[in-house]
Amino acid sequence: MSQDRQTPRVEAEAAGEFFGGVSRRRFLKGVGAAVGLLAVGVLPAFAQELAAPNAGSGGAEAAHEAGGSLEGFIEEDAPVNYPGEPVFYAPPVGNQKWAMVIDVKACVGCRKCVYACVKENNIGRNSGFTYIQVLEMEPGTMELESSTLDYAEGGSPDNWYLPVQCMHCAKPTCVYGCPVKATWKEPDGIVVVDYNKCISCRNCIVTCPYGARHNNWVEPEVPKNEVNPKVPLEVKSGVIEKCTFCIHRVRNGMTTACVEACPVGARTFGDLNDPNSAVSKLIKTRRVFRMKEELGTEPMIWYVG
Amino acid sequence: MTDVATPRPGVKRFIGVDFDFGALRKASPRYWLWVSVLGVFLLLGVVSWSQLLTHGGAVAGMRDNYPWGLWFVDYMYYIGLAAGGLVVYASVHLFGAKQFTALSRIAVLQAGVLTMMALMGILTDMERPIRMMWFALTPNPTSPFLYTGSAAGGYMVLCFIDLWVLITGKGGHKLAMTMTLIALPFAIYMHTTTAFVLSMNKSRELWHSAVMVPIFLTSATASGISLLLIFAYIVQSVTQIKFEPSMFRSLSTLLATVMIIDLFLLVVEILSIYWPTSAMTGHVIRMNEFISGGYAWAFLPILVLGFSAFFLLSRRPSRHIPAVQITAAAMYLVAVALKRYSLMAMGFARNTLGQLTGIFVPSPVEIFLALGILSFGLLFITVAMKVLPMETPVDDDEEHEHYGEARRTDAVLEAEVNEL
Repeated sequence: MSQDRQTPRVEAEAAGEFFGGVSRRRFLKGVGAAVGLLAVGVLPAFAQELAAPNAGSGGAEAAHEAGGSLEGFIEEDAPVNYPGEPVFYAPPVGNQKWAMVIDVKACVGCRKCVYACVKENNIGRNSGFTYIQVLEMEPGTMELESSTLDYAEGGSPDNWYLPVQCMHCAKPTCVYGCPVKATWKEPDGIVVVDYNKCISCRNCIVTCPYGARHNNWVEPEVPKNEVNPKVPLEVKSGVIEKCTFCIHRVRNGMTTACVEACPVGARTFGDLNDPNSAVSKLIKTRRVFRMKEELGTEPMIWYVG
Repeated sequence: MTDVATPRPGVKRFIGVDFDFGALRKASPRYWLWVSVLGVFLLLGVVSWSQLLTHGGAVAGMRDNYPWGLWFVDYMYYIGLAAGGLVVYASVHLFGAKQFTALSRIAVLQAGVLTMMALMGILTDMERPIRMMWFALTPNPTSPFLYTGSAAGGYMVLCFIDLWVLITGKGGHKLAMTMTLIALPFAIYMHTTTAFVLSMNKSRELWHSAVMVPIFLTSATASGISLLLIFAYIVQSVTQIKFEPSMFRSLSTLLATVMIIDLFLLVVEILSIYWPTSAMTGHVIRMNEFISGGYAWAFLPILVLGFSAFFLLSRRPSRHIPAVQITAAAMYLVAVALKRYSLMAMGFARNTLGQLTGIFVPSPVEIFLALGILSFGLLFITVAMKVLPMETPVDDDEEHEHYGEARRTDAVLEAEVNEL
């Protein structure tokens, strides 16, 4: 019995064959191909590391392990494609990490933040967009597809409201997607657009999961007496713009226009680097969630309910 | 056309190519009528572009909910159509498919012009074309947009070099072979990166699928071969160039094969959207727009036309009939055009915040701009067919030698298999 089994194997070895009649040369070729395939498989991961060199993997988990420390989020929120010089329309970077917390339990859907933002940021009254979009949500669901954007003024007590704007993501797909590096993430976490460089290819609009980016299809028009001199206007014609976390205000010690305008105090803005700031405390102590967190963009706006 | 070597009036020799401008002078009134019609549309296109540059994107049908409109549909379509030329060209030089030799110059010309038209779409869409320089100065390696643009630019140049190699015969079979070996992977790279512009967006549910890449390759090849087949019939009827019926039969067989792979991938994609164990709300609710919603008129005909075209060509007794071939090819061309339109809409029919955005209707400015680019391409081909020596001279020796080579390789392979 054992002899019967052994004979073919010996013959096969004599013929330079093993593994069921595969010649050595072919086997080696196969191994080569497998190694090649593996190498190709590794490439995307490598590319991701290239894209976000400072992003320590599993930052969020680390934060929870460290007993409510925000270290992971702060580390994650590193500059991306930052050219290293101050934005022409804002003061230089400080050492803060800006973040926002929005209380959806408090929000009544009055759109006061939207109007304040339009005035503050010289958004063209003819442009047809706003930085902040407040969604009227159906009770019992988080599903965006059943939400309403153009709900009647004032809102209704039967629904709840989800204000959405640029999330200043730690892994901003818009910044990764811009073909010419006309948009980047500053060291303090604010994602900015260089209006003098943007080629208006709209790839960032396509790739942003939050609908936060808008193109100026027309020359933005703002009534003369309402123009905010601290924010650019003419250069925004024909290029992309979006929420800047009121970069011109927050870097001068003020808070954002939307936070100031909210009549119910649903919005909190602050510095994650400061453990005693309101946002740090809220994120550490309250049950918070982030929009479309499963996409892994690491948004810097938290919602609390 | 065959006596290219003998000097004739009106023939100018430049970079080793005989430009027969005399043929233009002898052209029929019908030819000039066709050229003038194209010229009028070209002019209208130029006027539309100037409108776009002076008034901004507002005169186009695009808005934030449809950031890419008709130009993007055309971009995907033209890039895809360019694939057919390469498949035929590569078949001649890599697989010794000598029945396609007569078509190789026309195929390469078609690929080059279509890629040029696609690039003109990007250029005319830029509100500030001068800022294109940033593509070269500060390119962002993580942007898929960068790769498709550069790939298309490179591919266009490659096609025109290929055409020059084919016409002048410089470097002989060896150079033609080398060019194929460069062009084929480059074409795959181009179609892949064009698909990446869609599939690499986690923000757009229906685009974010790995199948997007192979389906781009198959749709591209199928539509490209369809166009080439129809174009060959047109060339045959308006010029002296004649093709063998066997060439059309081979093209049809190839076309039917690629069609069914393309349709298979599409059906698999639809299945994975709706299958109960894989259906996700965001995907299903968006796809519903295309099955029963506002875009059904564009999407459902893709399946109907696609499968009908395949059945027309799959039947052996009728496959050789020119009318059947032309009908099937035309049906698939329309199907892929609708597919490109639907594909654009799939990203935008509901925006990233889940809101319905309405049907995309291009504005007159957009339409005339697209027609202008189309007439530019047609004009380019019309003049090139007249002025350039597009007919492949019969060179039996080289063909037989090459064909023999291919056979020999087959024989060696067979022997190896037998040995094992």
